[in-house]
Amino acid sequence: MNIYLLQVINGIGIGMLYFLLAVGLSIVFGLLRFVNFAHGAFYLLGAYFCYQMTRWGMSFWLALVVVPLAVGAVGWLTEKLILRHVYATAHEFHILVTVGLALAVQELVILQWGPLGDSVTVPAMLQGVVIWGSFVYPIYRLFVIGFTAVLAVLLWYVLEGTRLGSAVRAGSESTEMVSLLGINVFRIFSLVFGLGAATAALAGVLAAPIRGAEPFMGIEALGVAFVVVVVGGMGSFSGALLGGLLIGIVQSVMSTLWPEGARLMIYIAMAAVLLLRPHGLLGRKE
Amino acid sequence: MKRQTHLILALVVVLTMPLLMHSGSLASEVLIYGLAAMGCNLLLGFTGLLSFGQGIFFGLGSYTLALTLTRWPLPMPLALILATVMGALGAAIVGWVVIRQKGTYFVMLTLAFAQMFYFIAYTATGLTGGDNGLMDIPRPSITALGRTLWPLTSPWQFYGFVAAIFMAAFWLLLKVSRSTFGRTLLAVRDNEERAAAIGYNLKLLKLQAFVISGAVTGLAGALHAMMTGIAPLSNAEYHTSEMILVMTVIGGTGNLFASVLGSAFYLLLADWLSTLWPRWLLLLGLVLIAISLWMQRGLWGLGETLWSLVRGKRTRATDKAIEKLVVAASPSGGNGEQA
Amino acid sequence: MSTPILLEAIGIKKYYGKFAALGGVDLKVRANTVHSVIGPNGAGKTTLFHMLTGTKTVSAGRIVFDGHDVTHIPDHRRVQRGIARSFQVTSLFLSLSVRENLRLAAQGIAPTRAMNCWHEPEGPRSCAETVASVLARLGLESFASVPAGNLSHGQQRRLEVGMALAARPKAIFLDEPTSGMGIDDLEDMKSFIRSLRDEHTVVLIEHNMNIVMDISDTVTVMQQGRVLAEGLPHEIRSDNRVRAAYLGNMITGGKA
Repeated sequence: MNIYLLQVINGIGIGMLYFLLAVGLSIVFGLLRFVNFAHGAFYLLGAYFCYQMTRWGMSFWLALVVVPLAVGAVGWLTEKLILRHVYATAHEFHILVTVGLALAVQELVILQWGPLGDSVTVPAMLQGVVIWGSFVYPIYRLFVIGFTAVLAVLLWYVLEGTRLGSAVRAGSESTEMVSLLGINVFRIFSLVFGLGAATAALAGVLAAPIRGAEPFMGIEALGVAFVVVVVGGMGSFSGALLGGLLIGIVQSVMSTLWPEGARLMIYIAMAAVLLLRPHGLLGRKE
Repeated sequence: MKRQTHLILALVVVLTMPLLMHSGSLASEVLIYGLAAMGCNLLLGFTGLLSFGQGIFFGLGSYTLALTLTRWPLPMPLALILATVMGALGAAIVGWVVIRQKGTYFVMLTLAFAQMFYFIAYTATGLTGGDNGLMDIPRPSITALGRTLWPLTSPWQFYGFVAAIFMAAFWLLLKVSRSTFGRTLLAVRDNEERAAAIGYNLKLLKLQAFVISGAVTGLAGALHAMMTGIAPLSNAEYHTSEMILVMTVIGGTGNLFASVLGSAFYLLLADWLSTLWPRWLLLLGLVLIAISLWMQRGLWGLGETLWSLVRGKRTRATDKAIEKLVVAASPSGGNGEQA
Repeated sequence: MSTPILLEAIGIKKYYGKFAALGGVDLKVRANTVHSVIGPNGAGKTTLFHMLTGTKTVSAGRIVFDGHDVTHIPDHRRVQRGIARSFQVTSLFLSLSVRENLRLAAQGIAPTRAMNCWHEPEGPRSCAETVASVLARLGLESFASVPAGNLSHGQQRRLEVGMALAARPKAIFLDEPTSGMGIDDLEDMKSFIRSLRDEHTVVLIEHNMNIVMDISDTVTVMQQGRVLAEGLPHEIRSDNRVRAAYLGNMITGGKA
């Protein structure tokens, strides 16, 4: 019994990270109708910037704040300078330009930090385990769960409670209407894209002490992010949360039962959702 | 003579590569991936379907050839045919499912299936060798009645074989692209709702496109396995699908020869740069971005633009030159000579 | 006019979620007539077209065409039975030539030929006669090789109708064929539609009352997903309910 409980909690931890990873992708899709293949690259940058900062002796806590802002700025610039010019072309170029970006970022990372990757130490305050009866669990992972939960509430507040959030939600329904209301749609696009990049980077920062920083984690993350977004529903915040948790728990539990099957299962789930209920569990019907 | 131009261009490429290149393997690779890119182009450029699943069919072709030459030995030509058929079959199954969705959902579905195939290949170690892949694939010579007609041992000998198959496949694909079916695909690409409204069964059309694409891609995978002697897991990986797609787009969607341009560009660049600079993929990423922004018709489109510029300049310059000659030649200054 | 009934729609309903776009529509269209469907915006005219041509599926009801129940037959198969349509928003193959657009439309009635991946559509396979005759009728012969995307708006609207004609349909559905057309084009289109009556049955959605009153044999008025009135043009013109529907729509925005 204990093993499964452990795996479920692990699953929640992974799931919350998956949520953080996927929520940006989902919102970007909802508003921009853009499948961002470079999303994993922002996650990658997040992990590596965090790694670099800790190498420079700076605190992890500083990285937690600075890195998402930095990568968010990168995302914002990317939309403004590059993506904006592709909206008018055929939809395959929307996808291909982000594929090109992902490739370029990956290679830049390898150029800067080498192809092998490295580990990131858990911050001193969060090291060690918590012991509660027969239940033993790393403190850092508990922190991740708590932190992302708080962040989820914050993000939800931004989306539901602020003017920016309303504009984003309205824009998901109709960008035409939003621009008629006098809101600069393009500025919102850049902001949202930047926000998506920032959340992905944050997921990268949080993940780094757990699995290190390594150049191919971007592609791996992208695959999972796609699954979560599809299952939860493209464009849905709560869908990203539900999808993230579901996929995280399933994956975690499966890894004790049938390790190789775990990854296969999530892609089967993705295909099944796309076929039977393409707008996902909580997405809006087109 | 526009009809035969593309065929002649392909023939020119096939014949000049041995003259200009040192490596027979690289030349073979250009043609092999050219085939794969053409298969991808049939879906993307002609039907408007962006498929991230071409690696499935490429991998199926490799594995089938490996198994039919090593484990259940069949004559090599039959093995090739079987690999092509498996590619077509795989495409029929995958296509039948993924066609049910359109647009972004379709693209994501092809991705999901590509990943599923990868993990199935990873776990079915009995059939695929898992992480190690299948190895020691022979390269039997072409024989008839016990006598060796065409040995395939050296890279350039193998190249000759690949070139012959490539030209045959290219000719067939060209016929398909010009056929009634090929023309109808263009309508599906342009406006599939209207295509359905005027009487066409979209599912059947797209499925047939998938099957042909899968067949060509399976053939390419089989030839690749024969060339390298291995059928690795990486043939079924995301990177292979991505690479084929990138070659197709760089070359230019919308005409088949452009796909060969794309594969040549990619592979020659890789070969040349990878020794100079291991991070050459960075350049490739930038090229992709550039093409998406400014050169959507790819290398072929670039060539067309340059060609029309050259022709434009020449015609004007020629006219001016002729004018000058006429005025200079006739003492009375123009005697009804039409420039 | 007691020509036989070619098309009959019985109790057609269409729901989008909870919204009833069509709340039960009955329609009878007689062969070789021009039958116009009019009504204020949001009345459900285009939705009705979608149901009749099979572009979308009905939520309830039956459609009988030429004696056969076609309710559940998808749009691409209804073409072979003799139903063809044009679209309110121009929907052509923009990168293909005018001739190719028409050839594709003409070939659509024998779609199995489209699966032929060996033979080119030349000679006997090119539907040349049909294409040539439609080109002539539309007055677009000199534009045959021009990509459809390069035509003027009026020319595109003409080609839009031509695409439906090329299928040699029994019933041709025209959704606002004159939308956005200039005055010169309008008169031509009017006589063109009138001339179709001899060989085809025309079902027409139109906002231009001049055309509707001039060329229709029957007029059906729709409002909010139902049929409000039906009859001869002059009957409809003097019908008080119709007046109220249009007038009411202008002032109160939909509720008469």
